[in-house]
Amino acid sequence: MKIAVVVQRYGQAVNGGAELHARYIAEHLARHGQVEVLTTCATDYVTWRNELEPGVEPVNGVPVRRFKVKHERDPLVFAKRSDRVFERRHSLGDELDWLDAEGPTSPALVDYIAKHAADYDYCLFFSYRYYHAYYGARAAGARAILVPTAERDATIGLSIFQPLFRSVRAIMYNSPEERAMIHAVAGNDTVPGVVVGIGSDVPNNPQAARFRQKYNVRGPFAVYVGRIDQNKGCNELFEFFGGYLKDLAGKLSLILIGNTLLPIPEHPRIRHLGFLNDADKFDAMAAAEVLIVPSYYESLSMVALEAWAIGRPVLANGKCDVLKGQCLRSNAGLFYETLGEFIGTLEAIEQNRWLAGSLGRNGRQFFRDHYDWPVIERKYLEMFERLTKDAPAPTTDPLPGWFDRRRQNLPGAQEVLAALPKGPAWRHG
Amino acid sequence: MSDFNVRSDSVNVEQIMEQIRARIREKRGVDYTEQQIRELAAVKLEKFLDPRGVRSDLLDQFRHAQPAYEPPELPNFAFEDATLFESHRAPIRWMRKLLMPLLKLLFNPNPLIQALHIQSRLNTMNSEREAKRESVRRQMDQLYYELVHNLVVETTRTGIEVKNLKMRVESISSRLEFNERRARALEGVVVYKAAEADEPPAPRPAPPVQRQSAPQVQRSSAPVGQPQRRYAPAQPSYRAPAQVPSPAPAAATTPAAGQEEPSAGGQGQGQGQGAPGEGPGQRSRRRRRRRGRRSGAAASTVMSAPGLAAPGSAADAPGSPDAVDQIEAMDQMDDDGSPDAEETPAASHQPEPRAEQSESRAEEPSPHVEAVPAASVEPAPAPPATHAPAPSATPDHSDPDPQ
Repeated sequence: MKIAVVVQRYGQAVNGGAELHARYIAEHLARHGQVEVLTTCATDYVTWRNELEPGVEPVNGVPVRRFKVKHERDPLVFAKRSDRVFERRHSLGDELDWLDAEGPTSPALVDYIAKHAADYDYCLFFSYRYYHAYYGARAAGARAILVPTAERDATIGLSIFQPLFRSVRAIMYNSPEERAMIHAVAGNDTVPGVVVGIGSDVPNNPQAARFRQKYNVRGPFAVYVGRIDQNKGCNELFEFFGGYLKDLAGKLSLILIGNTLLPIPEHPRIRHLGFLNDADKFDAMAAAEVLIVPSYYESLSMVALEAWAIGRPVLANGKCDVLKGQCLRSNAGLFYETLGEFIGTLEAIEQNRWLAGSLGRNGRQFFRDHYDWPVIERKYLEMFERLTKDAPAPTTDPLPGWFDRRRQNLPGAQEVLAALPKGPAWRHG
Repeated sequence: MSDFNVRSDSVNVEQIMEQIRARIREKRGVDYTEQQIRELAAVKLEKFLDPRGVRSDLLDQFRHAQPAYEPPELPNFAFEDATLFESHRAPIRWMRKLLMPLLKLLFNPNPLIQALHIQSRLNTMNSEREAKRESVRRQMDQLYYELVHNLVVETTRTGIEVKNLKMRVESISSRLEFNERRARALEGVVVYKAAEADEPPAPRPAPPVQRQSAPQVQRSSAPVGQPQRRYAPAQPSYRAPAQVPSPAPAAATTPAAGQEEPSAGGQGQGQGQGAPGEGPGQRSRRRRRRRGRRSGAAASTVMSAPGLAAPGSAADAPGSPDAVDQIEAMDQMDDDGSPDAEETPAASHQPEPRAEQSESRAEEPSPHVEAVPAASVEPAPAPPATHAPAPSATPDHSDPDPQ
């Protein structure tokens, strides 16, 4: 079996969520077949500048074939086109222009897929929102399998992606919420799909004491791991934790791990440790009472899964359907939407050791049942096997003609998004 | 959230969240974010303030009601030197200019021209000043409305905060009441245990042979609970444990008895006044042990462990003033060395009346001793028997308390 993994960026130093997801999948599927990664020469997701050489190079034993990006992203043009397609009535041509402005525009990659798709059994396309997935999936035809990594943002409301969701051979979802959202927007219930997600290489025995000693951390604490950014809900986290600090009953400190784009509030019980390596990160999680995930938009929170893998409870933002659904399905985390709920849930975890321990145990079991690597690999292999048996049904719709592409008949993507059903899904798999 | 309760073995996050939300509603009322406060101030103001005088959308109403300011065009005139003689017809202007000297011959028009010119300038200046004043007034109006709006928001916030604080005060007062009840309950438990321990042990007459070696037996083999009786203010009872047969293993008692046998036999009555033959090292060891026992006894009484609790009386309970006073008194005795008999071997040979009294009472059966009311006895200096030489072969906790 020969698999192509097509992703917008790839490399050991590339730490984006979807890119990491693609790398993990490629490396684990490489144990079961021949895997080749097709990607661009870019490493920066803002500019898509060509920073790596085109050609083939191995990364962790997996051959990676890189293609040049035709042009970098112009932020002004992209912002202007985004405003048009997200907020106003527009045409299909506007959306295609937006996709071209978003990038990474690499016709060479698409051409290669069109010419060599037959060399592969299946092509796994990661991140539906980018140029390579839209045009690459059309080029790969019946061999295209999509890993959408879709979040509940306006992009999902663009009309160009609806045929994409309907025409790929199969879809590997990250969560039931993602699946429900895509089904609602594209009506692709007949397309084979399975909720897979991603595993994580969590150490068996993280050392909580080592972390405490190394960073001189004393007392109980809650930990946040990730980029400290407004888009990740960190402003709200700071505001809510400030409210928690005013409550004299609470003894937890807040440890922040990750690069920051925001000013950190100055308080003796709020500490920012910066970017840590994986060993320290897992040690910190093991030492923490709870992991806080304040993000509003998540396709699948890997850090939450990692916390569950080492038996720690999670406190998630309940405004994010995916996180709330994960907490409910796993029975391994609490969630908040208001300041009162934040304080209440944090104190419940802090003061009720039985509850924290039970949540952690449930999380560990949830991770083992659904996100351990053998489970993930098995789901992929079963899907390949299923597709091999079934005949390829869907066909790719041709792009509309010149006049149709300029017809201003599409609603703004925000409007489409607002009409989609909300709320967590209960069923997993 | 300390009383948050999960009873089932399997966690149900949804139920837990319901419990937490219920607790939040019960304990804190409702918490609001900044945005929610503003929304409340703008929409549901009547819930917090008297709506008769204040409108919730003050700023919007004000901006809507007040149009943009345009200064009014007041009538004015321009008056210069040649204004009187101007005309759009050139021949007439020429004629007027030609006849000007004749006019000036008849009257002087200059004051009239000057007055009208000044009036024109004054009109212009007044108009400009009025426009400036109006502009400033309107800016002030904006500020006043902004101020009123902010006051409304802040009052709303304060109202919410007052409400929350009231609920918090209620919560704290209920916690305080609970703590007081718990403290009373704990005190009751302590008194109850002490009352249980007050029951007298079965009286046993002490064999005369054991009397000789009473100090060693006390030190080595008295039950753990017995030594506390020495603390009891009923001073004559300090000998009672010595009469109880030792339940301790022989291995623990034999070395102590063997070591202390000569001094006890040699001293006779003097044994009650301390160990005349002991060295300074032994005395310091004994003091150390005594200090250790004091702290240990306090901890054991606090914990109310059945084996460690003082069976003597309620006075030994933690916080009991009698017990504390006695311990204090004995501390002074030990540390200051005030009983010289204990410190100097020579003095220890002198008979001390109190010691004799204690010796004689020690022979009496213990029910008689128990009959003495504990509270009626003043804290007394340590009886001499407590200062008998005590080899360290036996563990401290099995030592009878010398007090």
